[in-house]
Parts: sequence; C-alpha cells; structure tokens
Amino acid sequence: MSEGPLDAFRIRREPYYRALAGEMGLFEAAYTARLPVMLKGPTGCGKTRFVEHMAWRLRQPLITVACNEEMSASDLLGRYLLEGGSTRWQDGPLTVAARHGAICYLDEVVEARQDTLVVIHPLTDDRRLLSLPSKSETLRAHPEFHLVVSHNPGYQSALKDLKPSTKQRFGAIAFDYPARELEVEILMHETSLPRDLAERLVSVAEAARRLEGHGLDEGISTRMLVHAGSLIGQGIAVEAACNMALIQPLTDDLDLTSTLSAAMRACL
Amino acid sequence: MTNTAGEQREPTLPAWLSRLVRALWGFDVRVHALPMAANDFTARRPRFAGSDLWLPSSPLVGVPGSFDDYLFAACAHVSAHLRFGAPRFEIRSLKPAQVAITSVLEDARVERLAIEHYPGLATLWAPYHQARADSAKTSSSLLARLARALHDDTSLDDDAWVSKGRQLFMDGRAEWHDANLCRRIGSTLGNDLGQMRVQFDANGYAVQPPYRDDNTGLWHFDQELGEDGSQLELEGVRRIESDVPAVKQREQGEPEERPARCSGESEPAPGISLALGADVTIASKHPEWDYVIQRERPAFCSVFERPVEPGHTARLVSEARDAATQKRLQRSASRLSDRRAVRTRRLLDGDRLDLPAALGAVVSCHGGVIPDPRIYSRVRYTLDPPALLLLLDLSESLNDVPRDASSSCLHLAQRAIALLAISLSTTTRDWAIHGFSSNGRHDIGYRRFKDFDDPYDEHARSRLAGMRAHSSTRLGTALRHAGRALALRRARRKVLLVMTDGEPSDIDVHDSEYLLFDAKQATIQNRRRGVLSYCLGLDAQAEMSVARIFGAGNYSLLREMECLPQRLTEVYMRLSA
Repeated sequence: MSEGPLDAFRIRREPYYRALAGEMGLFEAAYTARLPVMLKGPTGCGKTRFVEHMAWRLRQPLITVACNEEMSASDLLGRYLLEGGSTRWQDGPLTVAARHGAICYLDEVVEARQDTLVVIHPLTDDRRLLSLPSKSETLRAHPEFHLVVSHNPGYQSALKDLKPSTKQRFGAIAFDYPARELEVEILMHETSLPRDLAERLVSVAEAARRLEGHGLDEGISTRMLVHAGSLIGQGIAVEAACNMALIQPLTDDLDLTSTLSAAMRACL
Repeated sequence: MTNTAGEQREPTLPAWLSRLVRALWGFDVRVHALPMAANDFTARRPRFAGSDLWLPSSPLVGVPGSFDDYLFAACAHVSAHLRFGAPRFEIRSLKPAQVAITSVLEDARVERLAIEHYPGLATLWAPYHQARADSAKTSSSLLARLARALHDDTSLDDDAWVSKGRQLFMDGRAEWHDANLCRRIGSTLGNDLGQMRVQFDANGYAVQPPYRDDNTGLWHFDQELGEDGSQLELEGVRRIESDVPAVKQREQGEPEERPARCSGESEPAPGISLALGADVTIASKHPEWDYVIQRERPAFCSVFERPVEPGHTARLVSEARDAATQKRLQRSASRLSDRRAVRTRRLLDGDRLDLPAALGAVVSCHGGVIPDPRIYSRVRYTLDPPALLLLLDLSESLNDVPRDASSSCLHLAQRAIALLAISLSTTTRDWAIHGFSSNGRHDIGYRRFKDFDDPYDEHARSRLAGMRAHSSTRLGTALRHAGRALALRRARRKVLLVMTDGEPSDIDVHDSEYLLFDAKQATIQNRRRGVLSYCLGLDAQAEMSVARIFGAGNYSLLREMECLPQRLTEVYMRLSA
C-alpha cells in the first residue's frame, strides 16, 4: 500500500468517544461489508467525533470534506493544474481516498448541490468505481476505501434533502444527544467539571431541548455544554459561562432568552 | 413587559412563562393574566385548574424581589403541582384547618420533588419565606412557619407543633412521591392544632408565601359541602364561589370547548346553485383518499372558485405602517431582501476568468484538442425566491379571539400577511394568497386574494381586507387544488405555506381520522409534483394532527398569536433560504 499521500490523514491519538448504543458494532460491520454509512443527528451530538474515533479504531486514514453549496464535482474529484508550461493532474479528496484507500467523510452532505453528489453514485454501489471524466480515467476504488456522510435532518430547510437515489445507497445510523448519565460522563471527561456541576449543566441542556419545535430549531448540544464547561474551567462564573456558551448562541429572541435564563437559574 | 401604555388594555404577562414550563417539565400550560384592577389580594393570587394557570399581571404589594422573579417563582410552584401532584384530594370529613395544613404539606412535597430536579428553585423560593420563628402563635402564622420549616432545612423554629410537622414530613421522605403522606400528616397536625386550642381563622387565612397558589387546584370541592358546609370558608373555597363565572367564561373561549365548528352554518352556500351564478367559476373536481379502503375516490370533491368582496383597507394599511411591528420585522425583512451571490460558470464572456474552465482550455490546447471557449464566469446577485402560495384555512374558528390577543385570529392573519407582503412585493411577484373553507364535499369555496404575477396593489389589499372566515376545513382537497395551481409555476422551487388553526373537519365527515389521512395523502401527492408543503399551525394544541399531515420538520406552531407577523416572516425566510 502506498502510504505516502495518506500519512497526513492518519489519526495517531485516540479521539475520546463514549459509545451510546451499538453504533460502534454497526459501523464496524458496515465497514467490513463496505456499506457506505450515513450518520444522522442533531448538531453537536458527536457525529464527527464518532467518525474520527472509528477511523482510529480501524486504523484507517480519514479524509474529511465539509460540503457547501459552491462545491463542484471537480472539488471532490480533482482537476488539472498548470505548472510552468505543462499541466499536472491533482486528485481531489474523494479521489485520493478511493485511489489510496481511506475513509472519506462528507460532512453536512445536504449542503452540497444534488448534481454534485451524483458523482458518488457509482462509488457507492457494488461497482465501487469512480469516474474521472476530465482525466478519461475510471478508477476502481481501493479495497480499504469507505464512504461516510453526515447530515442533520432537523434544522435544514424543508427544501434541502438528499435525492432518494442518493439516500438509498447508504446504511444509516441515527444519533441523538446522549442519555443523561452518559452526557454527564462525557462532559466530565471533556472538561473535568465536578459531577454535580456537570449534572446541572446537562439539566440546562435538557430543558432547552424540550423547547425544540416550540421556538427553538435545535436545543443545546453536547458540544455547547463542553464549551460552557471549558469556560467554567477558565474561572468564569457558572451563570456567565452558561449565558455565553449555551443561551446567547442559541437564540436572538428576547422571550426565548428569558425562558432559557429562567430555566438555567432553576437548574443551577 | 407589563403595560407601559397608559390606556386600558388587556393585562398581559411575559411570553416566556409558558415556554418555561415546557422547558422545565416538557408539557404545555396556558398562562393567563389576572385582571389588574382587583384590589383584593386573594383575587390576584396565582391559581390553576387543569393546565390553565392564572398569574397576576402587576406586582403585588409587599412581595419582595423583582416582579419577574415573583412570576418565575409562582409559575415554577404551580408547574410543580402539575408535574408531581396527584388527582385532587377529596375533602370528605376534613376540617378547614386540616385542609389548610394538608395543602401546606402538599405545597412543600411538590416543591421538594421539583428541587430534586432543579436545585436552583430552592434559592428562587427561599426569599419569599419570611415567617419568623418569634411571631405570635396564631393559626395563620403557625402555618406560614410550618411552610418555611418544610422548605428550609436550616430554619430554626423550636415551636413544638412546627417541629413535629417538619419531623413527620422529613421522616416520610421515602414517601414523598405519594400525596397521601400529606393527607395523613395533615390530619394529625390538624388535630394537634385543635388540642392546642388555636382557633383556625378560615376567613382571615391566606396561603403563605404569596407566590403559592390558593390551593383550589388541589381539592375536589363537593358542591353540597361547599354550599351548606359554611365551615369550609377557606381561601380556596371563597375563590371558587366568587370566581366560577369568570373562570367559566374564560374557558368557553377555549378552542376545544367551543361548539362544534360546523353546527352553526348560517351562511346559505349550497354549492350547486351558486355554481350556476355568474360570478362563480365551474367546479374543479378533486379525488379524495379514503384510508379505510386505502384507495382514492375519484372526482369526489368539488371546489368552487369564488370572487372576493373587497373590504376597507384603511385599517390594514395603517397597521402595516405600525412603527413598532415594522421595527421588529425590519431585521428579518432586510435579511429577506439580502442578495446572495450566485456564480455562473463557463460563460463566453463575463467579469472574471473561470479558472477551472481556463485550465481545461489550456490543457486541451496542450493535448492538441480544440479548447472550449467558455472560460469566463460571472457573479450574479440574486434572491431566487421560491414560488410561494400562502394557503389560508378560512374556517369559522378563525373568527375566535385568542386569549392572549386583542383581536381575532383572522384579523391577526390579515395583518401578518399584509406585513409579509410589503417585504415580498419588493423582491418578487411569484407569490399568491389563497384561502378556502368548506361546507361538505360538494361545496368547497376557494378564494384568490392575490394571484401569481398580480401586483400587490390597492385591489389586492382590498381583497385581503375583505377576507371572511366561516364554515369548515376540508384541508386535503384545498391542498390538491392549491398544489395544482402551484405546480404550473416555472420557479425551481415551489412552496405551499399553509396556515391552519386546527385539524381538518367538515360537516359530512364524522370520522376524525378520515380527513387527516386525506390531507396527508394530498401532501405526499403535492411533493411528487414538486410542491413542498409547510404548515404554520396557529393552534399549539393541534400539534398531533399537523405533525401527522405535514411530517416532522415541515411545520411549526405558534404559541402566541400576537407573534404571527414575526413568525410568518421567519418561516418564509427559512423556506427560501
């Protein structure tokens, strides 16, 4: 295996991840079967961390692409560059992963335009082919190549969704915020807060999550709790840290801010 | 937060209160303001019945701390009753003193349980407990001291009766989940109070501290007992007797308690005869989905497009100019007209080089192939808004005046649309306002207040002002009819934004599931035609049906009608993002 191009994408240290249910086993099975995986779930619940952890666990390099609307197929596949008087082909991230064998992770995949995503179709069925039209090359994917995408069905505009023909190529693992006990544990690990305080922060998050669909698009995520925890670790007062990391980023609505502040006071 | 205007207005409460209960406990309550005028303290204290909650709308005399804190404390206390309370206690043979003491214990029990979940509530409630251990041993002060002792582990009250109450309560800690504990301890303490020869002054008794409710929500008052048993002149009983009419009146304003929507069909609107009228177009036939046979009934429903009587636009126009609302919308609206950069690549001429295309051309040259000359790109700023059809459920219930609002839902909807229209009409004409109401499957009235490509001008405004609400809601057929109109638009995205205030119903349908399934089917069919449906539910109680029809993520619910203009604009922005 030519390791060179993928060295930068190897994960050396274990990223912390606390298993929630059977998701590790599911991912490993899907990886073994080379079934492309879709991770669904709210913002900040640990999807990206999970992929990083699994890449480390499977000892595979991980190439992450943050998708956006301006992304074109050649941003994924690669393009010719001019070098002096001649041209040179530069593989895109998807091609690198398929050519050399890595996990390719397309983050927030619905943000990409639908027609861009069609390039992954032949890669994700049993052909495992990647066609590079501008290079007149059809690349057979490396046996170790694996495709993972993530998307957040919650807050996305109703107009943004994957095509059924794209969706059906994936096995999907649904994520949600961790159960209370687990979330406390995660928070304590990530921020070294004492248990009592971690529990109270999680209560604030749970209160906000009950407002999803009642004014809030998404509740307070585990990531935001970790942010609050690290501010507290810096010596910021608990209420001020919660206000900065949990409440203010979530909403600009004054009534909702008042609700969340009151709920926070009840928790702390 | 409270009224700043000098004029007489409906008392209001901050909107965050009802959301707070959802945040803390996950259920919804309706929070109502008690009238400000009442000078009687007992008429202005918090109370609850079912999931309705009444709170004073202005500060009470002698209550410490800020009014917001007081409301928070009262709301948290009542919601603790709702969360941890048992079914109402039966009075049976209890004496007034025992009723009062049991209530104090029950208050403490639910608060203790709430504090286990939310420790911060303890510090919230603490400042209101001001009973002093050295106060006179009247029944009122003893009860207030008991309340304090039960709340505050550190309070030093060496009165034997108070200490006994606290001891019994703390010993029963393992049984706090069971409300019968309070009843048991309450009878014991009540007997003790009698033996201590402390007269219980039922007339002068008011529950302490003042953030707590009057306990009427805790007891099941037997009518007979209430009338002939004058010994039960507790604060709660006084309340019940004096306020029943007021409470009833308010409840009658409730959506679920109003008479069946279709019963009062006063408007003579028989479809066939009207269909022959000159100003009515020929019926369009639509199928309907019957979930029982899992099949469509072809050409089952008739839709008649009816003309709209113009109304007076003066009020609408002046409200749309309303400075306060405009200011609130300003930010949203400015983002609405925010233009997005869209780059068009591979053009024969343009402002800048399209680098990948230029490279491709050079590569072709090197390869001896004729290069593609389209090597420029252009950045266009455009909004590219979706074609929007605003479909209004114009059934009778829209005439209701919501409790938290100053005018009818219909009027609020008109105002919201007028405001959105101002922002919309500056950017696009590809939007329409349609409405419907039904009177059985043969007569579904469909009105176009503003159609696609029409300007939003004086005519459109007068039609909007002439909007009337009556009859029922055959939602599925209206969705099909609107979906058909929208599917003809050329825009890349087509959005059907439905505003409805309840579940579908009609006079000839008695199975509530039937129209719900039909509407769901219509939504799915529209989606197949490339029309996306989104619902703005005007009644938060209708969440179940709205969620089933439109699917998760495709609806949002309005808590306070007064926020409609803001929410409508937000929803539009979200859909066009």
